[in-house]
Amino acid sequence: MGIDVNIRIAGGAGQGIHTAGNLVSRIAVSAGHHFHATQDYMSRIRGGRNSYTVRVADAPVRAGSERADILLALDPAHLPHLLPAVNPSGLAFSDLPPGDAPGGVLAVPLKEMAISAGSPILANVVGAGIVLRVLGVPVEAADRLLALDFRGDFLEKNRKAIRLGAEWAEGRVSGRYPLPEAAFHPRLIVSGNEALAMGAVAGGCKFAAGYPMTPGSGVLHGLSVDGPPLGLVFEQAEDEIAALNMAIGASYAGARAMVATSGGGFALMVEALSLAGMLETPVVVVLGMRPGPATGMPTRTGQEELAFAISAGHGEFPRLVLSPGSVEEAYALAHHAMESAEAHQVPCILLSDQYLADTVVDADPDDFPVLPVRRRIVRGPDVPRNGEGRYLRYALTDDGISPMAVPGEAGITVVADSDEHAEDGHITEDHASRIRTVEKRARKEAGLAAETLPPLLSGPPDGEAVLFGFGSTKGVIAEAREILARDGVRVAAVHLRQVWPFPSEQIDAIVSRYGTAFTVENNRNGQLARLIRAETGRRVAGTVARFDGLPFTPESLAGEVKERIWAERSTRR
Amino acid sequence: MGGTFDTAVENAWCPGCGNFPILSAVKKALESTGKARHEIVLVSGIGQAAKLPHHVDVNVFNGLHGRALPAALAIKMASPRLTVVVTSGDGDIYGEGGNHFIHAIRRNPDIALFVHDNQVYGLTKGQPSPTSDIGWTGSLQATGVISGPFPPLAVAIALGCGFVARSLAQDVELTAELMRQAIAHRGFALVDILQPCVTFNRKNTYQWYGKMAYRVPEDHDPSDRRKAFELSLSWDERIPVGVLYRKEGRPTFEEVHPGVGDPPLHARDTPGEAVLAMIRKRLLSP
Ligand SMILES: Cc1ncc(C[n+]2csc(CCOP(=O)(O)OP(=O)(O)O)c2C)c(N)n1
Ligand code: SF4
Repeated sequence: MGIDVNIRIAGGAGQGIHTAGNLVSRIAVSAGHHFHATQDYMSRIRGGRNSYTVRVADAPVRAGSERADILLALDPAHLPHLLPAVNPSGLAFSDLPPGDAPGGVLAVPLKEMAISAGSPILANVVGAGIVLRVLGVPVEAADRLLALDFRGDFLEKNRKAIRLGAEWAEGRVSGRYPLPEAAFHPRLIVSGNEALAMGAVAGGCKFAAGYPMTPGSGVLHGLSVDGPPLGLVFEQAEDEIAALNMAIGASYAGARAMVATSGGGFALMVEALSLAGMLETPVVVVLGMRPGPATGMPTRTGQEELAFAISAGHGEFPRLVLSPGSVEEAYALAHHAMESAEAHQVPCILLSDQYLADTVVDADPDDFPVLPVRRRIVRGPDVPRNGEGRYLRYALTDDGISPMAVPGEAGITVVADSDEHAEDGHITEDHASRIRTVEKRARKEAGLAAETLPPLLSGPPDGEAVLFGFGSTKGVIAEAREILARDGVRVAAVHLRQVWPFPSEQIDAIVSRYGTAFTVENNRNGQLARLIRAETGRRVAGTVARFDGLPFTPESLAGEVKERIWAERSTRR
Repeated sequence: MGGTFDTAVENAWCPGCGNFPILSAVKKALESTGKARHEIVLVSGIGQAAKLPHHVDVNVFNGLHGRALPAALAIKMASPRLTVVVTSGDGDIYGEGGNHFIHAIRRNPDIALFVHDNQVYGLTKGQPSPTSDIGWTGSLQATGVISGPFPPLAVAIALGCGFVARSLAQDVELTAELMRQAIAHRGFALVDILQPCVTFNRKNTYQWYGKMAYRVPEDHDPSDRRKAFELSLSWDERIPVGVLYRKEGRPTFEEVHPGVGDPPLHARDTPGEAVLAMIRKRLLSP
């Protein structure tokens, strides 16, 4: 990457860092560049210490960076915390009286300029004006974007604020991190949570329910905004238990259905997840992970629920568990989840996390295709009936999938029961029938496994080391691998988009081709490493773990991987 | 009986159980609607009472303990033309499902709820339910229940439920009639049915209910909410049965929910142009 500038805008909740970050991101795209934005926020509504980091580059970026080239600290009280991460050659700005600025910080009268633009709340926009000039971007570029968000008098004030910031920067710092002119390409601006909701809606989701819990709430928001124009019905449930029971009810009535939550909410849903397994109702659950146990760190990231997701629920039943690693994959896998859950009549879990949820990037519109929605409901003359003219919801079939009709279909009734049931759906305690029904449900495992999305391998096909990750670490591992390659350490990276059914054969074959293998996980226990061992019998050397609540970054991950490989080499000797 | 809604499913209730006359009443009431089997869904949770739908030949959703109402709500939202009836126990609806009971009434979907109120947990063998009287001894409360009983009708009236009635299991005619009215009522309708459990409840027997129950006086004006509330709290001396409260006109959940209606959710398609429009909203163009 020629251009790689990391801009951090920090302040308290309510100071508008999101608006400023958003503006800077879109300006980068308008100038023909690319960005990756990550958010770091505390669990509060006002105050606290939050930041919005925009990494701008001349190629698509898929990971954040800890180091900041440009820091805009709206609240100077945060400087001691923020300054250590600023590059030695970087620029830091804060709202301070000129004499009070610590070394390396430029004092800017942000508030004062905001007031002269018309409102003290525009300090963030003044700051954005400064960032623009640091990047050498003319303020006019911002005008059109501001006009998309604001109207009338307030638009004028915003324009004025941007200009005051830019004028201040003129001569002082303008063009210090110049963005060269580049050809503009239309790009989508999408977050992980938005992409999950869009994928579900594009996949024919018609019912969604949920009870807010970070980071699942963002998906619910997306569904409630994007869904209704496409016929989706959204309901805020009284709790997570109700939410999944509602989704299952809607699915019984023939609607593709989804819920979204986080670990604690998912824990409440588990009984109903098992109900979906028993009733064979397709349903999709977005599990946005955050550090636990219990309420954990509500606004931070973690990957502590892999083992929980693949085993949640009482009793044995087939399921699909997918783990998107990018916004593009979030869209594609949410669609796939809708299709697959219905095709196999199983629950499907989409494992996301706060990092992916709140990541915003510019994406190629071609990576958000309109894909076909294939409904599998049987209707009218296609509804199979037995000798007595009855429809059997749980008819025993070779692949375990029974033709699914919905209530309201003339001449038939649809009977679904959480107790063990016979083919007609009615309760039975007959042991032989129980065996037949258990085997029927289990037969779906083979069908699901046959459609497993293979893990994605990048890097050398064999060699010294391979890194495994699932979900949101995809982009970070990919970039860490490139950094290592530049340093002469050749490693391969494997991203698992599907973690259940586990792609055992492929993983087994991959592990055997490398001298050593590590997993990279945002948890302490190395849940993926354990899974690989359990499902393939192969040992991985260990886990590069991060569980402080923050995402990995490429540079630090590369450094740690290097050390681990050296340590592994020396113990092998 | 030989009604049109009979099934051949083996029955697991104790001989003499109050669930039997309730089952007869449900069939009568459903038959009186003139609806065909495929137009009706019976939803229940778990318990002895919750097995009732298996004995009625209509669509059945027998879900989890306490969770009948959320499932029923979503079925109604998905296909508003279906007649959705929930029939389950007092433990199911008022205990495990108490939260859903409150929120179902707040939403006011066009669903009729029939609660088999036997003041005991039958299926788990004799523990008190939320409606058990103080002092009643259950299998886990040898010295008697100490918490005050949950008053379902009073709670329903307080929350603005538009149809609140109580019936007596052994009075099949009355129960069927109240059920018929509940189904006909537009909005959420509750019929709490005093149901003897001949195995575990030696206090609230057929005789006891028969002695305690009396028909709501002829001159009771069911639209008088204050009076209805008063009646709903009467329990220790005599127990009124019949329609305690009725108020038409509150819009149903399906009417006010912007997305619910025709076509039903299973019949809605996903047009490519609409998907494209959703994606285009995020497009930053020059
Ligand atoms: C989550 C959960 N908790 C507990 C049970 C066990 N259980 C089954 S039925 C029941 C109580 C049933 O009481 P009620 O609803 O009054 O029905 P009855 O059997 O008296 O008709 C309980 C506690 C269960 N099935 N699921
Ligand atoms: S235990 Fe009680 S409620 Fe259950 S079937 Fe027997 S008599 Fe009826």
